[in-house]
Amino acid sequence: PIEDLFTSLNLHIQRSQFEQAVKVADQILLVVPSDEDAIRCKVVALIKEDRIDDALSTIQASQRLPIDLSFFKAYCLYRQNKLDESLESLKSQEGSSTTMLLESQILYRLGKMDACIDIYQKLQKSKIESLEINLVAGLVSAGRASD
Amino acid sequence: NPIVLDIAYNFVDFPSLENRM
Ligand SMILES: [K+]
Repeated sequence: PIEDLFTSLNLHIQRSQFEQAVKVADQILLVVPSDEDAIRCKVVALIKEDRIDDALSTIQASQRLPIDLSFFKAYCLYRQNKLDESLESLKSQEGSSTTMLLESQILYRLGKMDACIDIYQKLQKSKIESLEINLVAGLVSAGRASD
Repeated sequence: NPIVLDIAYNFVDFPSLENRM
């Protein structure tokens, strides 16, 4: 039964056995091709395995389904340095702190330091771990280290 | 160049499977 497959999938995730997690997610998807949890687990496990191309293929194959994978897609495109496409994929999710965080990392790579710093300063309320490190990097790169 | 961390990676997370098992 599918519950057993999810139990197995969960166990692999807890143990950081991401390659096995992908295999079990695929077994679930053979039974229920549109299962959102299985698709999400497969995409995340592929990203954790550094299989960014495969993660993107999985996302693309799921495009017809009513599942919003735009943050994962944007993250994969960021990893591939396709920065404009990545920003495009984030547009549907504007305003969430996760979206803003990735956006600021993209803006840093694009050399748009003031916009990057602006987002980090807005995010400071949300207590994201290590955020200060990237804020300082932005300030230094913008020649605003004294801020 | 200053160090920049990929903090967004920490937000690439698995869904809860609590009610699927
Ligand atoms: K994580």
